[in-house]
Amino acid sequence: MSIHFVKPGLQTSLQDLGRIGQMHKGISRSGAMDTVAMQMANWLVSKPLDSAVLEITLVGPTLAFEKAMTLGVCGAEFELFLNGNQVFNNESFNVKPGDKLQFDKLKTGARAYLAFSGELKLAKVLASYSTHITAGFGGYQGRQFKLNDSLELHQTQIKDARKLPKECEMFYSGNYLLRCVSSVESSLFKQQNKNQFYASSYKVSTDSNRMGIRLSDNPIQLDNKLEILSSGLTQGSIQIPPSGEPIISSVDGQTIGGYPRIANVITADLSLLGQLKANDKVNFVFTTNKQANIILTNKQKIMNKLLR
Amino acid sequence: MTNLTTHIPHQLITNGDAAITIEYQAVIDEKLTEHIIQTTHYLTKQLKNYATEFIPGYQTLTVVFSPLKISIERFEQVLKELLEKPIQQQPIHGRLIQIPACYDHELAPDLLPLANYCQLSIKEVIHLHTQTTYLVHMLGFLPGFLYLGGLTDKLHCPRKSTPATRIPAGAIGIGGQQTGIYPVASPGGWNIIGQTPVNLFNPLNTEPFIAAPLDKIQFVPISKKEFIALKKKQS
Repeated sequence: MSIHFVKPGLQTSLQDLGRIGQMHKGISRSGAMDTVAMQMANWLVSKPLDSAVLEITLVGPTLAFEKAMTLGVCGAEFELFLNGNQVFNNESFNVKPGDKLQFDKLKTGARAYLAFSGELKLAKVLASYSTHITAGFGGYQGRQFKLNDSLELHQTQIKDARKLPKECEMFYSGNYLLRCVSSVESSLFKQQNKNQFYASSYKVSTDSNRMGIRLSDNPIQLDNKLEILSSGLTQGSIQIPPSGEPIISSVDGQTIGGYPRIANVITADLSLLGQLKANDKVNFVFTTNKQANIILTNKQKIMNKLLR
Repeated sequence: MTNLTTHIPHQLITNGDAAITIEYQAVIDEKLTEHIIQTTHYLTKQLKNYATEFIPGYQTLTVVFSPLKISIERFEQVLKELLEKPIQQQPIHGRLIQIPACYDHELAPDLLPLANYCQLSIKEVIHLHTQTTYLVHMLGFLPGFLYLGGLTDKLHCPRKSTPATRIPAGAIGIGGQQTGIYPVASPGGWNIIGQTPVNLFNPLNTEPFIAAPLDKIQFVPISKKEFIALKKKQS
C-alpha cells in the first residue's frame, strides 16, 4: 500500500499516453486527455515522460501516503494542501509516510495530473497502464478510483527538486480558441454552415467527458441530411449531430462512424480538450495543414527543452 | 481466394492533420472488405515508420500517422504511390464462428416489438436471424463490436428513438439494416432480440476478440437453461 484514497474525487484514474495501434479493434486510445500536462508532471519527478500518472477531474481526491516519495502536479490548478500547508503546481514536493495531500477548490482548468516517483505493481493491458473507463479494463481494476482504494507502488524514492521552466507553464482562461483543419466531410457542408461554425462562440456543456466535448449554443442548421461513409474517427474530430450542436471526440471516443465532421482540431491543440469544463467558451479558427505542422513542431520544441 | 490485384477506384481525403482516409468507390461486399484488409496488411508493412493506426470501414480505410515524423503532404504522396502499385497478396482464411444465442423473452426486450414491426412471428424472426451466416466487415465503435453484413431485409428495423441507457454485454441487436452484438455493457439504440452467454472481449488475451474481419458469424439458438449453464461455465 502506498497511496490511499481517503476521498476518491469525481473521476480519478490511472492514465499514460494510451494504447496505440488498437483502433481497428474498436479500442480507443484512452490515456491522459492533456498529454502535455501529464508529461510535464512526470518531468517534475524525474520519470520518463510517458509514465502513468493520476488524472484528476474537476473534484479532486484526498490522498494519504504510506511511503516517502516525490510528487509533481501539472495541469488544472486546484488549491493543494499537504498536511494543511499549501503546495503548488509545477514544482515538485516530497511526502513522507502519514502525509495527506488534499486537492481542494478548483481554480483553473479541468484536469490535473499527479506524477509520483515510484513504480506501479500493476500489469499493463494491451501495452498500456491507461484505464479504459467505458470498457472497464486497464489501469487500476479497469475503473476510476473509489473510496478506500490503495494504489501499491514499489521502488519509491525521493528525487531532486524540480521546478517547471516559466515558458512551459500553462494558463487556462476558460476562453479558448481551437485551431482546426478540414476533416473527411468538411467539403459536404455548405459554406454558410462553415461560416457560422467559425463565427460562433460555443459553450462547453455539462455532459462532456473523456469520450467527447459537447458544445451548446449556436446550433448549425443543416438543410438536408449529409450522406456519409463511416470511417475512422480520430481525436479532435468535430461532429455535427442532428441537433446541430458540435461534439469534439476525445481519447475515449468511438473509433468509427458517427456524424458528419465539419472540421478537426489540430494535433497541437488536442491537449487543451482535457482542460475544457462546463460553461467555458470555445471558438474555432481555420488553419492550413502546413500551419498546423509548424505549430506542432514549435510546441514539441518546448517539450524537448525539458528533456535536455 | 479471390484475385485481389484488381484496382479499386478510390480517393484520398485528409482526416484532420494526422490522418488520411481512403474512400473506395465500390459497393459494400466481401470483395471490397477483403481488398481493404489486404491493403491494411500491405500498408502496415510499408508505412511502419510513420503510421500508428489503420482503421478499416465498410468502404474506407483510415491511416493515422505521426505528423512529427512526416508532413501530411509528403505522407499523402507516399500513400498515393503505394496504392498505385499492385498489392502483394497474403492468404486470409476467414473462419466460421458459431455464437450461441438465446432469444428468450427475458433477454430480448425488443423481440416482440420488432416482430410486430416486421410483420413476422417471433419464431420467424429467430429462424431468419439464425439461418444466415454474417460476414465480419470490421471491428469498431466499442472494443470488439463486430460490424456484420448480410442481415435479410425482412428483419430491417429502425433504431429505437430513445436509446436504452444500459445494454448488457452479449446483447444481440438489430439497428436499421445491421445486426450485431454488444461486446461490453453500453448505452445503445438497437432493438435487443437476444443475448449470447459467450464472453466476446478478454482484454488479457493476446487475441482479445472472438472474431476478426472476413470471419463469418452464425447464431445458434439455445434455450434459457443452456444460456444459464454456458454463462456459469464462463465465470
